Amino acid sequence: MSGAPVSFRLNGVERTIDVPAETRLSEILRDLLSLTASKVACGVGRCGACSVLMNERPVNACLVMAWQLEDADIVSPEGLDILPETRIVRQALSAENAFQCGYCAPGFVTVLVSLLRNDPDAEMSQIKAALEGNICRCTGYHSILRGAQAAAEAVRAERSKSA
Amino acid sequence: MRVVHPDSLTEAQEIARDAGGTACFVAGATALQLLWANGGAKPDILIDLGGIAKSRGVVAEGGDIRIGALTTLSDVASDEGLQTGAPLLAHAIGSVAGPAVRNLATIGGNIANRNGCLLPVLLALEARLVVFRSGAMREIALAEWLGETATATDIVCSVNVTAPGEGAVWIHRKVGLRRVFTPSVVAVAGVVHFDSSRLGECRIAVGGGVVTPSRLVSAEKALQGRSIESCDWASVSETIMREVEAPDDLFRSGAYRRKAAAGTIVHALKAKLDGVADYVHADPAPPTLASGEIALGKQMLPDRWFTRPDMPEKVDATLSYLTDVREDGMLVGRILRAGVPHARLLSIDVSAAEALPGVAAVVTHRDIRGENGFGIVFQDQPALCHDKVRYAGDPVAAVAAVDAATAEAALGLIRVAYEPLPLVDDPEIALEPQSEAVHDSGNLQTELHLDRGDVDAGFLEAAHVVEEIYEMPRQMHGFLETEGGYARLEADGTLHVAAGGQHNYRDRMQLSRILGLPEERIRVTSSPTGGAFGGKDELTVQPALALLALKSGKAVRLHLDRPESVLAGTKRNPMRLRMRTGCDKDGRLVAQEVDLVSDSGAYASLSPGVLETALEHAAGPYVIDNIRTRGRLAYTNNGVGGAFRGFGANQMTFAVECQMDRLAALCGLSPNDIRRRNLRTPGMPGFLGQRVSLTERCDEMLEAAMTSRLWSCERGLSPDGADYVGVGMALSYQGNGLGTIPHDEGGGVLRLAEDGRIEALLGLDELGQGLHAATVSQVADFVGCARDDVRPITGDTLLAPDSGSTTASRGSYVLWNTARRTAPEFVRRMIAAAGLRLGREPEDLCLVAGGIADRRSNSGDLLISYVDLAAALDPDERPSVSTHFAFPKTEHDRGNARYIFAFGATIARVAVSRATGEARVLDLDLHSAAGPVIDVASYLGQMEGGAIQGLGFTLLEDSLMRDGAYLTTNLDTYMMPGVADTAERLSVFAQESLDEGDDLGPRGVGELGIASVTPAIVNAVGDAIGYWPSRSPLSAEALLDHMETMQ
Repeated sequence: MSGAPVSFRLNGVERTIDVPAETRLSEILRDLLSLTASKVACGVGRCGACSVLMNERPVNACLVMAWQLEDADIVSPEGLDILPETRIVRQALSAENAFQCGYCAPGFVTVLVSLLRNDPDAEMSQIKAALEGNICRCTGYHSILRGAQAAAEAVRAERSKSA
Repeated sequence: MRVVHPDSLTEAQEIARDAGGTACFVAGATALQLLWANGGAKPDILIDLGGIAKSRGVVAEGGDIRIGALTTLSDVASDEGLQTGAPLLAHAIGSVAGPAVRNLATIGGNIANRNGCLLPVLLALEARLVVFRSGAMREIALAEWLGETATATDIVCSVNVTAPGEGAVWIHRKVGLRRVFTPSVVAVAGVVHFDSSRLGECRIAVGGGVVTPSRLVSAEKALQGRSIESCDWASVSETIMREVEAPDDLFRSGAYRRKAAAGTIVHALKAKLDGVADYVHADPAPPTLASGEIALGKQMLPDRWFTRPDMPEKVDATLSYLTDVREDGMLVGRILRAGVPHARLLSIDVSAAEALPGVAAVVTHRDIRGENGFGIVFQDQPALCHDKVRYAGDPVAAVAAVDAATAEAALGLIRVAYEPLPLVDDPEIALEPQSEAVHDSGNLQTELHLDRGDVDAGFLEAAHVVEEIYEMPRQMHGFLETEGGYARLEADGTLHVAAGGQHNYRDRMQLSRILGLPEERIRVTSSPTGGAFGGKDELTVQPALALLALKSGKAVRLHLDRPESVLAGTKRNPMRLRMRTGCDKDGRLVAQEVDLVSDSGAYASLSPGVLETALEHAAGPYVIDNIRTRGRLAYTNNGVGGAFRGFGANQMTFAVECQMDRLAALCGLSPNDIRRRNLRTPGMPGFLGQRVSLTERCDEMLEAAMTSRLWSCERGLSPDGADYVGVGMALSYQGNGLGTIPHDEGGGVLRLAEDGRIEALLGLDELGQGLHAATVSQVADFVGCARDDVRPITGDTLLAPDSGSTTASRGSYVLWNTARRTAPEFVRRMIAAAGLRLGREPEDLCLVAGGIADRRSNSGDLLISYVDLAAALDPDERPSVSTHFAFPKTEHDRGNARYIFAFGATIARVAVSRATGEARVLDLDLHSAAGPVIDVASYLGQMEGGAIQGLGFTLLEDSLMRDGAYLTTNLDTYMMPGVADTAERLSVFAQESLDEGDDLGPRGVGELGIASVTPAIVNAVGDAIGYWPSRSPLSAEALLDHMETMQ
């Protein structure tokens, strides 16, 4: 069974796929396209491990069905490097050893890149609010928050340099 | 399923009306996956409203705000006109689902579902809906619409509200199961006009989840026209409680919802009317460090802070986990679970499944060539059931097919006949003689007694006795990467099984036993894995994967989704623990009695060890001469229990440390004084009478707790009247290693690899704890090279030797001792080899970062790099040194006793909400003494992560079951702490010294972080409100009920 083919942009590349209409974006990425950087840990939009950017905003790929993809611009963790903030955010999180098992990391990175891209002045309360949809079981969050704060500072420093 | 995209409302409604099958309108579609996962029927047609452009956007004109129903929640909340005109709604949207969901979900969807969290807010705003009904637009008050019977063909087009305007104050609060991203327990909202100290029009509403969304008309009347001074808040509160319609559900009682609604409304309104801002609890003073104590962190210890070697690939998302492997032609596996908790298995017919095109293999117990039983201690768990199923997650068959959809279809074609057996779902009833036997051996899996002295005589001396029953939850490990991996036959005929685990050699041995294959023909890869915490210690999906790969002859991957992981995976054993403790008038402990019943679930796994470890910690770090303990482990049909970080010790510590505070209160002593009077002294035998290792640090930990900065923080009622604040402490000592009885050995290899890297081969697993970071740190220290010169090779029977299990806080010792024992000989061989090549005396050479240098030179110049040295050597000339050793043990043989311990003290500052009874952790200070810190970042991570997993155990987490079925089937209701639930401040301290003569090196801290968090939090609650809850997760209702008695 397949639905109508849908066309969307994935990591900057136009794609047309023909899958059943209710196929989820998380399955399209991981199983159809073997793009496994985004993870699935609940499948019902409650953990953020599958976060991707859809039209520049973070969404849960497990909640987006194929029929919703028409004309969408999707950036998965594999394509996040397209955005200049990604390198800075990743570097800051690495330096802080923000993660442990790392399975939640692609989702957290995606959300943080989106936040700091749109609001480099984000304060801790806004960082926390942005991360409310992402579950980490290993760290207890403080290392991620320290890394996020360092990332925000680094993004601001970079912007003021280029300004 | 078909999706249609109408261009107009008329067309949409016609499609819905004419639908031959079921049809459903969708917009953001964010609620559907959960609905379907919970058994909701998938409609034949989804009618996408997204193309109807008129229904999108926010228009604010004057005081009127029109919100198109298709506007996403995040767009509504960020609209400037809305933020100005109806800030209440913008605020409330922030409490709906999570941010990513709000980027898709629409306000129309939240309303149309009729139980959304926004309904009380919209009622308080007197929202009007524009609804397309029977081909025409109608404006209808939300309250009226909610009173009508739901009509499947109604389309909500817009929501119109009027800005409350000047002089109005608003309140909103959503009470949930955790602080944010939670189902609603009750949501309250209000808009109150307030003029010259008199209340004008009041609109107050409740709703959310099972609470009927409605205005609280009587409460409004009770407030309207009053001056602030004349408001009778107690009576308002009672009115609200009478008026709110709220049933019980699994998680909270209706009575609690009514009280929480009343409490939050009254508190929020009073604060708003009095102009009192939410009080922000001040940061504690900076810590004062004890001599030899360090505070851990990048800023505090910049010279000891290194980026973990596995961190960049994790942050970059380039690390391939075992469940990420995809290959052409790889089959997809699925497991058929019993679905019934207890039944005789009469027959299994797989013929229809086998005949389905695309199915490559179906396996049942008939395909098992070896022993159909596994289990780390007792092999009582079938790989695939043959005569009986003992829990709903028991595996009965497995299939491998070309894709997931075919595999799922095949599962549906397998016919299994069961004859139901009586359910055994209460561990205490399970132990009664008339109970149905889960196993032929009976339901008493283990019974242990550890007795000393004369308990009855001891209690006769007691001036104070505290007796309590502690009940503890079926906590889920909650590793983000659920169980899974792949298996395939390699070209040489080896069966390669790759699935997250914690001891690959033992997994291989167990697989060998099941498959009837020699161990040498099996390769097991067990990491990297996305978290384990004990939950991947036992075999999980490996038997099914192996059987499918063998039968199909092809590579097969299999990854449990979260509901299947919940259903099948081991959990922390729920425990019911009766503890009676007596002390004399001076607070000296004279006797203790402990009776513990633990739920093993359907199989033993490591539950007997958990029980034993719990009892080993029955006196905590205290001296009790007269003690009687009994522990019983019962088989039931409640899932499967097993290993989980803390392994019974943290549960026992909860009880012991709370008894201490309660006895202290009875004696009029401080928590510190009573502990000081009973603390063991170094050199004393352990609880079982065993000799224990040097470097005891109970005194130091108590000293750290006594002098903690948190005691001087503000306590008692907070200035805004919102919380009672308390500080509590608890000590912990956590055994390392498996104990005297189990086989416990370790070892590894240090070698120069072909590319010049110094490889450390360890059979241990990188579970996220920082094994690789600790390994490079330790090898670099002992060898003299740089961290970057070292490459850890772990988690694979093909690549590394057996190092024992990655459990029981033992990995640190194993890797330290491996590096310590191999490094001198490795260095000797390296400089010998280099000396030959360079024509230099070995005594003149040493290993430094990047290569070999002249020992007498400080230039840092390399005489030869490791890369060049490796290239110059034949493979058999490259140094390789291996070691094998027993994990240090004590001599005790009358029970399983630990030799090495790590020590800790947790101090918690907690705020208990007077309105809701919820406890919020403001501060957690974790003091630890576990020998030298190998890698600061990893140590800090283990302590922090353990602490917050413990916070979850204390405040949030329980896997609820009824009739042998999990009721919390996914992360929508199983509440792990989110970023808003973590302690507001979390600090970790370490004392690194070892006693003279202690050659046991660093202790493991994998379990130290969780060890005493629960009693520290509970003792802080006791300090705050004089009530020590004995059940975790703490019941907000019980706390609320207690606080009522305080006023």
